[in-house]
Amino acid sequence: MTVPRLVVAAAVAVGWVALAWLLAGSVVPDDLSLPTVDVDAVFGEQLVDRAERYERFLYVDWLLAKVVLLATLAVYARYGVRYARESAAGPIGTGMLLGMLGLAIAWLTQLPFALAALWWERRHGVSEVGYLEAIFGGWLGLGGTFVAVCIALLVVMALARRLGSWWWLPGAGVFALIAAVLVFSGPYLVTGLERPADPELQRTYDRYARAQGVDDIPLRVEEVSGDTSQANAYAFGLGPSARIVLWDTLLDGRFSDGEVNVVVAHEIGHHSSDHLLEAIAWFGLFAIPGALALMVATRRRGGMGEAAAVPLALLVTAVVQLALAPAQNLVSRGSEGEADWKALQTTRDPASARGLFREFAATSLGDPSPPTWAYVMLQSHPTLAQRVAMAVAWELEQEERVSG
Amino acid sequence: MLSVPEPSRHPIRLVVTDELRRSRLTVVFRLLLALPHLVWVTLFGIAASAVGFVAWLAVLIEGQVPTSIHDFLVRYVRYTTHVAAYVVLAAGPYPGFGGTRAYPVDVEVDPPERQRRLGGLVRLVLVVPASLLAWSLGGSAGLGLWSGVAALALFGGLTGTIAFLGWFACLARGRMPRGMRDAAAYGCGYAAQVTAYALLVTGRYPDSTPDRMAPRAELPDHPVAVRVDDDLCRPRLLVLFRFPLVIPHLFWLTLWAAPAAIALVCAWLAALVLGRVPRFLHRFLAAFLRATAHLSAFAYVVGRPFPGFVGREGSYPLDFTIAPPEPQRRLGVLVRPVLAIPALLLNQAYGWILLVVAVLGWVAALVTGRMPAGLRDLGVASIRYQTQAGAYLFLLTPRYPDSSPVLLGRRQVELAPDGEHPWYPGLEPAA
Repeated sequence: MTVPRLVVAAAVAVGWVALAWLLAGSVVPDDLSLPTVDVDAVFGEQLVDRAERYERFLYVDWLLAKVVLLATLAVYARYGVRYARESAAGPIGTGMLLGMLGLAIAWLTQLPFALAALWWERRHGVSEVGYLEAIFGGWLGLGGTFVAVCIALLVVMALARRLGSWWWLPGAGVFALIAAVLVFSGPYLVTGLERPADPELQRTYDRYARAQGVDDIPLRVEEVSGDTSQANAYAFGLGPSARIVLWDTLLDGRFSDGEVNVVVAHEIGHHSSDHLLEAIAWFGLFAIPGALALMVATRRRGGMGEAAAVPLALLVTAVVQLALAPAQNLVSRGSEGEADWKALQTTRDPASARGLFREFAATSLGDPSPPTWAYVMLQSHPTLAQRVAMAVAWELEQEERVSG
Repeated sequence: MLSVPEPSRHPIRLVVTDELRRSRLTVVFRLLLALPHLVWVTLFGIAASAVGFVAWLAVLIEGQVPTSIHDFLVRYVRYTTHVAAYVVLAAGPYPGFGGTRAYPVDVEVDPPERQRRLGGLVRLVLVVPASLLAWSLGGSAGLGLWSGVAALALFGGLTGTIAFLGWFACLARGRMPRGMRDAAAYGCGYAAQVTAYALLVTGRYPDSTPDRMAPRAELPDHPVAVRVDDDLCRPRLLVLFRFPLVIPHLFWLTLWAAPAAIALVCAWLAALVLGRVPRFLHRFLAAFLRATAHLSAFAYVVGRPFPGFVGREGSYPLDFTIAPPEPQRRLGVLVRPVLAIPALLLNQAYGWILLVVAVLGWVAALVTGRMPAGLRDLGVASIRYQTQAGAYLFLLTPRYPDSSPVLLGRRQVELAPDGEHPWYPGLEPAA
């Protein structure tokens, strides 16, 4: 490696670490120690057993699906370039075709696992989506994925053809920019969101939003009860497009007003803590090593400027995603933990928080205390046991403050 | 390189000897004049259905339709063809009621041949795809007549649209436009093949190739010419995911449509002032049109490879040569959107055909890995019409689109004595 390259690499590494350190800050006290939670006592032995059994099947299904996916992409990386002769487009268009076909084959191989998971969810009453709906919805949904992969390949291949082996550095920035555009425009593309029918919920929301300093973000309700019985909520959008959405399954009477309030305060916490902006920044940070890996891996096939490199790039992307999943989940769990903490600070109702997490375990059959590997690879949120522990810890801290 | 083998002679052959002249008086009252035939064809159809059932039993037992029954059904097939051609203005003279006399739009039918019993057993199932195509080509002219039920509901599909437009043309000029006549005759001929196949007159599946017309039709050269260099092979993976694969192109063309619309307005204004479209606007709009045609070919399984995004000439096996800009009459430019209305109506009819071609071709290609030649050729004809209509509307040419579905005319074949036309390399001209 030449000296200028070393300097650039060092500068990138230092910048990466500095930005990561800045992003890693949290309002959760550093010295907060979570008490150990007896999951059988909190969630009930029977529910824990049922949730473990339920999740175990999904873990196996996920593992098998990943093995098959990687094997399929490995075969495609070896032979997929043959499909280049089915293209009348130029190098970038041909790259797009190869990218889309790789995803299409991957979708086909993942379909049995997706259907098995759906069968399991339907069997446990967690999902009400039909099989044909899942298959054809997924087939049509591939169109949207194809557009995304085409845009990504257009950016990568155009940069690689222009900048050679240095494309990965601006490429990561462009990806972060695209992610920002998608996050910003996402709320304008989602239809069917309604204002909450309950005026009391709206008043509570307004109060909490003011308390967290974000009083101009609309609250909306999404109807999903025809597809699933799981309860959920999410925050999305940026600036003027920011929204908070509650699934109507959260408001069907299974959850108390206090529990719903905790969810609302949690989602407000995402916006008040700028988690969406942070997520974009993290995405950009993770894109740097990902793009670098792509550049290095595809050099032997002429680099990412050549269509022949695309099948291999798909495999590398899948491997990098898998490799980065623990770090991404760690970041995500940090944000979720911070939002939980803000919800407790806002509602000052740890009992409702504990009730909410118990109810989540019952409705979504989430394992309160999953195996370590699953926690590392799959959990984008703290475990339900950890979330209950945080509520207990908050309560203890308040008691200490009062007594101290 | 295209390598379409010469198909063996189809047992049901379309023969067109019509000379295009039409009596305005009979055109005005065409539907009323046809009423006795429509009543008769219904009765004839009921009888033909009953006889067809006997033919079905005969095929199941003997593997062949007796000559007397075959002749009766042939008369019915010919009669429905005559009536349909008369109603949709593909022919001028009033047809006879027996289906035995020669008519300007007629079918030749071979004597009965042996048929496979299994094919006969499930004939009504097998005929469904061809009926779908006949429906898109001729509305109920393709379906209603042979059943003798919906004889009055002749309109719809390509021939129905042509009958509607041809009625005005015949009244104005006393002649049926050649391209329209050929398209209507083709629709009638295909409907005859479907009827004959359904009634077990033949065991050969209907052939939708538009060039199966005797004698070979005229086809004047057009400034927007299609070139086909396709081997009919369709990799199944690309067929299975055809719809999602075209979505990025649709996304791109939607973005491109905005500057194309602005360019069109500029071209219109420039043509009004200069009497011709500036070369750079012509090139830009031609590229947009060509990209749309390439995408249509891929989306509707008419073309094999994934198309490029920029509409470059010569980049796709189904390609269009668009002649350079030429002087245009200002009045024609001024009222172009109005003049284009009939072409847009036909464009719509060809669009339906293309959709049916795509559905049938998709299933066929997924099963066999090949696109049936007839379907491909009909798809090419449809896309060619749509591109010519687009070129006319986009002021790329003052020439009206040619509504004939014929791909190789008499002149083109004569110019290529070795059997290879430069626009269709390797295509063997049909007999």
